[in-house]
Amino acid sequence: MPCGLQGHLPGRMPAELDDATLIERSLREPETFAVLFDRHAPLLHRYVTRRLGPSEAEDVVADTFLAAFQQRGGYDGGHPDARPWLYGIASNLIGKRRRTEAALYRAYLRSGVHPAEIPGPQVEDGLNTLAVNRPLARALLRLKRADRDVLLLVAWAELSYQEVADALAIPPGTVASRLNRARAQIRQALERGE
Amino acid sequence: MDPLKAMWDTVPPAEPGDLAGARRRLLDGMRARPDAGTARRHGVTVPRPGAGTARRRVVTVPRLVVAAGVVAAAGVASAVVTPGTPAYAVGENPDGTITVTINELRDPEGLEADLGAVGVKADVTFLAPHTRCEGPRFASVDGAYDGPPFDSPEELRRAREGWRSAKATGPLSIRTIGIHPEHIEPDETLVLEFRDNQNPAVPWRLGAFLARAGAPVRPCTPVADAN
Repeated sequence: MPCGLQGHLPGRMPAELDDATLIERSLREPETFAVLFDRHAPLLHRYVTRRLGPSEAEDVVADTFLAAFQQRGGYDGGHPDARPWLYGIASNLIGKRRRTEAALYRAYLRSGVHPAEIPGPQVEDGLNTLAVNRPLARALLRLKRADRDVLLLVAWAELSYQEVADALAIPPGTVASRLNRARAQIRQALERGE
Repeated sequence: MDPLKAMWDTVPPAEPGDLAGARRRLLDGMRARPDAGTARRHGVTVPRPGAGTARRRVVTVPRLVVAAGVVAAAGVASAVVTPGTPAYAVGENPDGTITVTINELRDPEGLEADLGAVGVKADVTFLAPHTRCEGPRFASVDGAYDGPPFDSPEELRRAREGWRSAKATGPLSIRTIGIHPEHIEPDETLVLEFRDNQNPAVPWRLGAFLARAGAPVRPCTPVADAN
């Protein structure tokens, strides 16, 4: 049975429904939208924390879900998974905090510490990680914002090309070209180990 | 493992305690406006408890364009519509742009058909004074319709420069808009919401947006609007 029909079955609990059905139901029963929050907020928070640090993450997550709640009437029910929609909204909000993101990378370059990372148990591992992550942070800092969005939605949010295209409202071909360009810059930075 | 994927991957997913504040804000926002995804669209900011104490200023997108307010001052004489003037007119220009003149807010279906005849897939609504379409009616191609709020007017202005919705239409005079089809992708819908402004100098206001290709545009349900 197509997932989208589940919402019409009596007695089905919200937690079992796909995102599109939840969103559609939330138009009649707004409180249902909280299920979507509980489902996606933990990993969205992690993604935002990796990009902006912990201090702004909760604010961005709240703004993302509030904006999503207000826009839910326009949600395309043909997409059972709402992650591209949510990460697209979050990407816009992250884009408005470019300075915070740049400051995070710069702080990492200085200190070698991401403020939300759980330290590794081995000093040696930590040093190896740092040897890789420092050039990565420097390369991320230098990427164009649009390229960084695509790269990190794939690498950190684990969205597919098509999902990134949906999230950012750009053609899949543009996703591919931005990703290629960003990966080339990352590769060069790692090769140089700068 | 891909070094980029591994970068900062020990950052843990949020625990419920990390999200308690965000969840509370969402629930408060949902209670404040349970009935719609309409709040931002009509100039109301995202509900933010505590706003005015420590929160940043938020600028929302103006949804209605005054038809050429600059021209209005000089063109008052032309504001009087003589009897027998057609309700609207659609003209194609040599440069590929399309000129639409609205004299009376009447026959939206006819205007849609005439725009379709010149290659513009349009959804036209004529609204009574102090009403708006309940929304959201569609998924927009950009932030002109349902995007996030902005921190400052400057940010809004910069964002507008990148919006195709803003480039696809523009006011030419108090009764006329220009449509620029080069900014409209195949199968996108140009959504035009005209509202009677009850003012001969500025007879109507317009909200012009682009709905995503293939995305449905719901019929307009007019609701009262304070503005």
